[in-house]
Amino acid sequence: MISKINELTEAINQADLSSEEKLEQFRLRYLARKGEIQSLFKQIGQLDENERAEAGRRMNQLKALAEEKFEQAKEELKSSSDQDISALEDISLPVEPTYAGSLHPLTRTQNEMKEIFLRLGFDVAHGPEVEDDFHNFTALNFPPDHPARDMQDTFFVRKSEKGHHDDLVLRTHTSPVQIRLMKETPPPIRSVIPGRVYRNEAVTAKSYFQFSQMEGLYVDRKVTMGELIETLVRFARLMYGSDVEYRVRPSFFPFTEPSIEMDIWWDSDRGGQWLEILGAGMVDPNVFEAVGLDPEVTTGFAFGMGVDRIAMLRYGIDDIRTLYENDIRLLNQFSD
Amino acid sequence: MKVSFNWLKNYLELDHSPEKLAEMLTLVGLEVESVETFGTDFNGFVVGEVIDVRDHPNADKLTLCRVNLGKDQVQIVCGADNVAAGQKVPVAVVGTKLPSGTGSKAAGMEIKKVKLRGEISEGMICSESELGIGDDHSGIMVMDSSLKAGIPLHQALGIETDTVFDIGLTPNRPDAACHIGVARDLGAVLKKQIDNPCKESTDDSISLDEKIQIEIKETDKCKRYVGKIVTDIKVDESPAWLKNRLLSIGLRPINNVVDATNYILHETGQPLHAFDYDKLEEKRIVVKSFEKEISFRTLDGIERKVAPGTLFICNGEKPVAIAGIMGGEESEVVESTQSILLESAWFEPSFIRRSSRALGLQTDSSYRFERGVDPNLANKACERAANLIAEITGGTILDGSADIYPSVITPWQLSLRIDRLNSLLGMEVDPGEAEEILNLLEIETDRSDRVIDCTIPTFRPDLTREVDLIEEVGRILDYNTIPEPESAPFFSPAPLSSWEIIHSRVRSLAAGLRFKEISTNSLISKNESELEETSGNKLQTLNPVSNEATHLRSSLLPGFLKSVAFNLNRKANTLRFFEIGHVFRSSEDGTWISGIEEHSRLLLGICGYRQKGDWRGEDQPYTIFDLKADLESFFQQLGILSQLKGSIAEPNRLEYQLNGQKVATLSKVVPELLEKFNIELPLFAAEIDLTLIHQSGLTETETGYRPPAKYPTFEYDAAYVVPTSEPAGRLLELIRKSAGKNLHRLEVFDIYEGENLGKGKKSIAFRLTFLDRNKTLNINDVEPVVQKVTKVLENEAGAKLRS
Repeated sequence: MISKINELTEAINQADLSSEEKLEQFRLRYLARKGEIQSLFKQIGQLDENERAEAGRRMNQLKALAEEKFEQAKEELKSSSDQDISALEDISLPVEPTYAGSLHPLTRTQNEMKEIFLRLGFDVAHGPEVEDDFHNFTALNFPPDHPARDMQDTFFVRKSEKGHHDDLVLRTHTSPVQIRLMKETPPPIRSVIPGRVYRNEAVTAKSYFQFSQMEGLYVDRKVTMGELIETLVRFARLMYGSDVEYRVRPSFFPFTEPSIEMDIWWDSDRGGQWLEILGAGMVDPNVFEAVGLDPEVTTGFAFGMGVDRIAMLRYGIDDIRTLYENDIRLLNQFSD
Repeated sequence: MKVSFNWLKNYLELDHSPEKLAEMLTLVGLEVESVETFGTDFNGFVVGEVIDVRDHPNADKLTLCRVNLGKDQVQIVCGADNVAAGQKVPVAVVGTKLPSGTGSKAAGMEIKKVKLRGEISEGMICSESELGIGDDHSGIMVMDSSLKAGIPLHQALGIETDTVFDIGLTPNRPDAACHIGVARDLGAVLKKQIDNPCKESTDDSISLDEKIQIEIKETDKCKRYVGKIVTDIKVDESPAWLKNRLLSIGLRPINNVVDATNYILHETGQPLHAFDYDKLEEKRIVVKSFEKEISFRTLDGIERKVAPGTLFICNGEKPVAIAGIMGGEESEVVESTQSILLESAWFEPSFIRRSSRALGLQTDSSYRFERGVDPNLANKACERAANLIAEITGGTILDGSADIYPSVITPWQLSLRIDRLNSLLGMEVDPGEAEEILNLLEIETDRSDRVIDCTIPTFRPDLTREVDLIEEVGRILDYNTIPEPESAPFFSPAPLSSWEIIHSRVRSLAAGLRFKEISTNSLISKNESELEETSGNKLQTLNPVSNEATHLRSSLLPGFLKSVAFNLNRKANTLRFFEIGHVFRSSEDGTWISGIEEHSRLLLGICGYRQKGDWRGEDQPYTIFDLKADLESFFQQLGILSQLKGSIAEPNRLEYQLNGQKVATLSKVVPELLEKFNIELPLFAAEIDLTLIHQSGLTETETGYRPPAKYPTFEYDAAYVVPTSEPAGRLLELIRKSAGKNLHRLEVFDIYEGENLGKGKKSIAFRLTFLDRNKTLNINDVEPVVQKVTKVLENEAGAKLRS
């Protein structure tokens, strides 16, 4: 009996359990109810009483050994079969990245500008794109024969034979919203006005009949040119970096006096140059009078800039048409 | 407008570098757009003396010239017919480069010692065109015989190099449209008085009536007409200095008379015209317009149709010049001209601008007249021009002048308050300095303590208000010197408008739902406009820039389709786009402007595949329900989904109503429309009226947090057989209405159409999920409700509960 046990111990230790089948054979041979270990247990009654205790102990050891071997092999087999994956569950298979939402480069640029002005204490206002003559021209101090009132420069939606008062145009700038704001709200007013504007221009790499502008207006008492320049400088620093080089120089717009433009120094491969980024000025007294404000009491400043131009500079886009083609290969380069 | 650096030095001492000067001009408001160097110093060119000329032994058309270059003699092979012994000629010696950009064949070429057909040539004898100083390329340039051989060419020609500034002149500065004006601004910055050669005129009261009579018929358009006569002139080339001045600013020299008038124009800003006096047979100048169209040949040789009402200068009744724009060919100064009538006039700016635009002709004259010339300059400039012409043509100025000036324009008064100046600029300006600046700008002043009374010269029509004077002082001081405000005011910002809030929310919701923002044209073609399903009249521009952009869009759909087509042509297969933009149509009341409805809209559109076929399986094209899910998610996040009522408008279109107003549509775009854009993939689009949603105010209510229910939900499934014509949407609505407040969710989990149901029938299986926030529901709570629902469906929709 003991020798039989030794023999089985040896066999169990030597058993090849490298596959599911061999493991099953092992189970049937040793661990099943009719297996060899169980049959040994059945023979225990045939032993002398003094041998029984020893044999029982050895048989239990044998059984434990077999079970341990079995469990261990089963475990090993299982983990090795885990690495053996099916073709469609191969996690290294490629997938197309999920189509993501995004904002248009013009919106991104506009949002960036808006954020800066929100931090500087401005709110955001809007107005219509079809405007009447009063808001687009007359109240903004454009003389009756100003070239901007020509069909060559401005899109008309309605043109009256009896003078320009009834004319409707596609707004040529966001400045008419200044007039709407000043008519509706008593000062102080501190708003930026983003929006689409129109000029009668052919579509080329450098020009387009529509583009986006951002206008700014601050109206209060005792507003100075120094504050205007300071506001523009703060904007330029936040938009183009705190080390931006800038200058302001005199310019002319019908609705501001004095008028200025701001340039920033722009480095490029072809060497640096001054680039105009915005026009601005102190609100012209005639504009205040047109909206019923006393220019002796009220002063203010206004500024305006082209969003398309700034977006093009920022992203290195050299053809304005690119902005309105909506090529997904361009849009994919922008997230929100 | 081009301005020559050397020319400016006539009026003002300038020892600055051209770059520094360009910056000064820009900072004073005369923006320099480019700086170019003009001319060459002819380095390496000398005057040579032709000693003798022999035939080239091996070439008929070439000669061998011995040329004395001062220090040494060389042999030069020459191809010009006019070369002859004893001539003084310009020679490019070995090692020099011919000027580039002259248009000559040899432009930019370096001269080398070469053998031409076996004969040595050491240099080149040049023509005017090869030197870039004239048009003559018929032969070599023959120079003054008194010149000494060997002297540098630039010395012999009196030619200098120059720097030319191109100034982008703002329309408010007519005074700066000339060299004197530009110098005046520089003088103000440099605190130097300029030497203005055109300040005073001699008293000239002698009448010219016998020689010429002048009549202005329309004094509102022509406020002054000055004439002077110069006789016994010899029309010829201008002297080198004059040609040089004109060439430097890009003008082609013509003859000494025309060149002189151009010179005075660019010096003083007064446009002048010289008529051939003998061709003005009637000796009577009439300034008038005609009621009919006039065919007129201008001196550029072009026959022009001139619109009725355009102002002409006439010889009696016969037009000889288009007033303020261009003279006629017939009376122009030519070589045979012996006497001239000089015209120096003042025309109404807006009138000249209109005429110039109508003619499509802008000239140096019209450029200045339409900005506004000083009416009190006409006589002074005329006199100066007459003097110059007499000097260079050998002519004689007839005593006296004609000067028709019915209502004299005089300087006007303005006051500048120093306190106002300081408070508007935001700096403390020394009153004395402010006054000095004004004086340097030739504004006479009278200062009493804190107020400067100013007399505004008539060359500054832009200075009509105190604020204009503030700008003058400010721009000369340089705005960059205004100090930073000592303290920044602490702003109290206004709350953001609900319009702004809803628009930025909508934008981020759309991007969050995985749509990419596009930006398309607001102006679309007629064909594109016809694709829109908008009621009411569409709007057009009266003056479209092209056929592609004639109509104002009334929908964002055409732009979306165009963008999709653009990308499909470039092999894209999945597109999810959104756009926010204004749409327009005419309506009775209007949004902002009476008669114009202008609303802000959102478009959500998808095209192509939810999943493109790959190892995972077949293509899964988008369906309308993909977009519907996105759209309703959008509404849900906006907080208005439960308020919306959807109804089928057309088989392919679902409309959503909010408070009885149509606020959104969801459509499967029909194949006929897609074909127009060559789109072969399924495409769906939704348009949402943001203006109406904003007006409803429904998005503004803040919804508070509601804790999740503590009790479980109870689900009840019920299938109904209904006529096929009954849309699911209506059944859902009936169920919602009748199932009471505990109906928590309502889904359709199965749809079945089969013969066993009978013809024209379908079965829709609903899952009703009930929830009571106060207790656990059981079948006894739910069953009566379902019975009620069933009854309603039976009565209203002919439904039968399917068991």
